[in-house]
Amino acid sequence: MKVEATEVEGRRVYSVRAFNQGVATWLQRLPTVWVEGEVTELRRQARWASVFFTLKDPESGACLSAQMPRGTFDALRLDLGDGERVHVYGRPELFEQRGDFRLRVLSIERYGVGAHLAALERLKQRLAAEGLFATERKRPLPRMPRLVGLVTGNDAAAKRDVLTGIVQRFPPANVIVAETYVQGPRAAVTVTTAILDLCARGVDVIVLARGGGSFEDLLPFSDERVVRAVAGCPVPVVSAVGHEQDTPLCDLAADVRASTPSAAARLVVPDLGELRSRLDRARGALDRNARRTCARHADRVERAHERLRRAPLLALERKRARLDKAHGRLLALSPRATLERGYAIVRAGDAIVRTPPPAGTAIAVDVAEGTFGARVE
Amino acid sequence: MTAPTFEEAQRELEQIVERLERGDVGLDELSTLWERGEELYRVCAEQLSAAQGRIEELAQRAEER
Repeated sequence: MKVEATEVEGRRVYSVRAFNQGVATWLQRLPTVWVEGEVTELRRQARWASVFFTLKDPESGACLSAQMPRGTFDALRLDLGDGERVHVYGRPELFEQRGDFRLRVLSIERYGVGAHLAALERLKQRLAAEGLFATERKRPLPRMPRLVGLVTGNDAAAKRDVLTGIVQRFPPANVIVAETYVQGPRAAVTVTTAILDLCARGVDVIVLARGGGSFEDLLPFSDERVVRAVAGCPVPVVSAVGHEQDTPLCDLAADVRASTPSAAARLVVPDLGELRSRLDRARGALDRNARRTCARHADRVERAHERLRRAPLLALERKRARLDKAHGRLLALSPRATLERGYAIVRAGDAIVRTPPPAGTAIAVDVAEGTFGARVE
Repeated sequence: MTAPTFEEAQRELEQIVERLERGDVGLDELSTLWERGEELYRVCAEQLSAAQGRIEELAQRAEER
């Protein structure tokens, strides 16, 4: 297009329209390029032919307006969130009517998963080397927490799942909920602050709960500040972030990892019903054991008493037996046994006769069956 | 001398029974030992009854609660 200038008092003057047209035409000669930045202020409406957003340089904050045909944008099904990093393919363009400069976008690619992954892996190695994920750092959860801290999004299903789970298992539980951003650029700071705040309020255990989400959504839970806050938390932390296959770094730093928010609830509080029945069983056992111990002692004492009652008679019988035995032996030694064999004992007066006495001496003769008198011839 | 504990009394009672059953006890000592045994038995039995009573009472109170 030819841009016409008019001569006014010796100057070449362009109309605004002509100027814009000229710049626009010149810009069209620039090549189509890839530009990297973060998507912000995304505006999309069904009645608009185009989708508008601002591409922002994450380091310097420099901005670039961008416009893309809505049909092309929708066809990509990117479901872009605020702050997501993208590669945009397009060429510079001037919107002549307004003199706005912008990028006419032909295509968008989500970018940064690879770069994020590499950065994440480096962070993971560094923190692991510091020992933040070490098994020996893991603390057991309190058996019956007096106060549970819950860090979660403000209307998240995760929050409902944890609270429902806790109340069902342990109705008297006390829970403080700290609502935070759970994705986007402010999430890491709010989560970190919430952890410190809950600790200051005296919780015994903290549950970090967030449902599943995209890789980018879960990135704040791998943020170094969050990971350090979890590792350095003075009370045990249960992490229930994302789905089973996601492993944000806070999961590694937490004392216990729960696969779901409901599982986290089961971990932090005991089952009241089961607790009650265990107590009842213990009480029953206490009662039975006390009675059994008493009965066992009573048995032992009674047995000893039984033996004691028999013991003196037994001892006397044993003594009598010994006496009888001695008596028997004594008897065996007495002369009577000799008389039984036909011998006789002859006595003159008190003396036993050992030499023949003079004739006429009166003697007494002892035989087995008795004694009789006689006179020596 | 302080009253023997249940365990002391029970141990002494059993020792006496064993001595008597072994029979190496003088005749004059026999009745003394036997009396001592009966005395110890009474001590044990009383302490047991007291303990049993306390358990029943506590169990009763726990039931009421």
